[in-house]
Amino acid sequence: MWNLKDSAAHLYRQYELVTCINMFEPWEKKLINGIFLLMFVLLVFSSCVYLPSYMDTLIEIIRPAAGSSKVDDLTYVPQRISSM
Amino acid sequence: MGNVDDDGATFQQSYAKCSNGTTKASTPISNGHIPNQHLAESCRDEQQQPQQQKVPQDEQEEELQQLLLNKQLKFSAPAYTEIRTRSGGLNFKGVSESSYHPAKQAEANGYVSQTGSSCDKFKPSRADGVLSAEQEHYQKTSFEDVPLYTACLTYLGFYLLMILGYINQLLFVPKVATEKGREGYVALYDAFESFYSRYVYRRVRDCWNRPICSVPGDELVLKDRVTDDYGWSFRFTGTETRCLNLGSYNYLGFAAATGPCADDSENRARQDGLAYCSPRSELGNTQLHIDLERLTARYCGVEDAIVFGMGFATNALNLPSLLGPDCLVVSDEKNHASIILGLRLSGATTRVFKHNSMRDLERVLRNGICYGNPKKGGKPWNKIMILVEGIFSMEGSIVRLPEIIALKKKYKAYLYLDEAHSIGSMGPTGRGVVEYFGADPKDVDILMGTFTKSFGSAGGYIAGSKKLIDFLRTNSHAHCYAGSISPPIVQQIYTSMSIIMGEDNTDTGRQKVQQLARNTRYFRRRLAQMGVITYGHEDSPVVPMLVYLFSKIGAVIRTLTTRHIAVVGAGFPATPIMEGRIRFCLSAAHTKEQLDYALDVIDDVSENLGLKYSRKPRDPHPIEY
Repeated sequence: MWNLKDSAAHLYRQYELVTCINMFEPWEKKLINGIFLLMFVLLVFSSCVYLPSYMDTLIEIIRPAAGSSKVDDLTYVPQRISSM
Repeated sequence: MGNVDDDGATFQQSYAKCSNGTTKASTPISNGHIPNQHLAESCRDEQQQPQQQKVPQDEQEEELQQLLLNKQLKFSAPAYTEIRTRSGGLNFKGVSESSYHPAKQAEANGYVSQTGSSCDKFKPSRADGVLSAEQEHYQKTSFEDVPLYTACLTYLGFYLLMILGYINQLLFVPKVATEKGREGYVALYDAFESFYSRYVYRRVRDCWNRPICSVPGDELVLKDRVTDDYGWSFRFTGTETRCLNLGSYNYLGFAAATGPCADDSENRARQDGLAYCSPRSELGNTQLHIDLERLTARYCGVEDAIVFGMGFATNALNLPSLLGPDCLVVSDEKNHASIILGLRLSGATTRVFKHNSMRDLERVLRNGICYGNPKKGGKPWNKIMILVEGIFSMEGSIVRLPEIIALKKKYKAYLYLDEAHSIGSMGPTGRGVVEYFGADPKDVDILMGTFTKSFGSAGGYIAGSKKLIDFLRTNSHAHCYAGSISPPIVQQIYTSMSIIMGEDNTDTGRQKVQQLARNTRYFRRRLAQMGVITYGHEDSPVVPMLVYLFSKIGAVIRTLTTRHIAVVGAGFPATPIMEGRIRFCLSAAHTKEQLDYALDVIDDVSENLGLKYSRKPRDPHPIEY
């Protein structure tokens, strides 16, 4: 009976409870969510812009483009050499 | 000794009968009512019942069965679910609800297992001479530490609340009354207190001070109210919700509108009036008060007792008459506000020791004795008094009485034991913490208690040696200047106390005490099996379940109310800021079915809200009642 929508709702509810956002009025909720989203976007953006090699490595680990499975990643060799 | 009497045989028999379906489950044991099965048994045993008495008996049984069925139906239908759970609110974890196989059914929680496995009902205790008092305390008490991520998130949540509160305060005018023409004056109230109550407490204010419209027995009827402007004001919707009551201090189930206690109180009110409006030393003294004092003294096992009109006032007004500025008081960290107020009024030097820690108590005592009274240049104190409570109501922990008595004798200090919650609810015959540990009541110098919790009434008492009580009769503020207890209330205490002592020639008192002990053990074990963190001793009927976060307190209370369970939540400043809790107060009036329903709902809610913080291993076996 698990589906994505229920799971997402459950996770959002947990996030709301844990950060006490569910006690706030709607405009406060929007404000806090907006600030958190802004910070998250800023984080992702700056790591993409200033640390491209590390981001590429991260993406390779999560979703290998070359098609190799994660199991033989024990001795990992980066596919692209960073240009210094 | 502990709480449970060795009558397991009768209970096993009665529950075997229950699962066979020949007799009905016991109806709630309210004021003076004998549970149904005993009535049925006694009727069956007495052979000389004439035939025509059987017919009203059957009718009564049918009625009761219908009532029980109605209750079950009522409890299984939620009004509306504020937080939609994945299972829709009706999936119970109990195996018996889902399978019809008899072997599986018997294995469900709360039923005696057919294989007759040995239940560890009787953990060895110091009174049995097996363990030392310290070991017993550590085995039976649990104060699990908060997981680190929860602590961090709680702080984060509070920071967010504070920041938004400050933004609110800056931008918007609050809907509170303000004084006019007071520019330039110093503010009347502390700034943080008003900020906290307006911008933090106000948001979840609908979970506290909820009006009720029935007697708070094992069930109560809540008057629904909604808030349109986020907690500034409320309005009644006109509907009412009948809930299971897990929030009242009703340990022995005497809070009921019917029964022998209520009848006696009513008669007494007609006979003697409603109030005397005068202190005991003037016009407020009657033979009934004197009888009550004698009965209380016999109940506690000491020479004499004195009763007062208000439990809080008993502490706050008698501590100043017992202590003075040259006395040293060693009081527990988590003592009640009445004790702290009384100590402040008395002007004695107060030193605090860590909650239930005997090492810290000894350290404080030794320091006090060695260094003497600093105000008088090191001379010895007039007296040294140790102030503890029997059951601490916010923690659910029980005082370590044998060790404290040993320390008191070693250092020649006096002991003041505040048994507000523990009188009537602990011990095999309900005489309190002193009986629970098998200690001598003459070792405790001053036994104080209230009649509010277990006796279903109001007022407080102090019991001890005759010399002490005679001193209090002349020197106590509450005795000389405060109004005496009104007659119907005295009658309620008198009747309930006689019932507990068994002096009304029925078995009700003993059954109530046993029922409470069983309920406590069962409830605590089931909660531990679920994986929520509860504090305190395993035998105390006060069960605080930790939820840590402020938002979770509000969410849990609201969700439980929609599921027809009324509980009480406690947060800052009653508890430390990290430890918000939901407090369940069990009662002898709760039946096993009600507890099962409550536990299933709690299980569901705690899974969906993420309250299962416990990292202890969980008991995989089903728990017997």
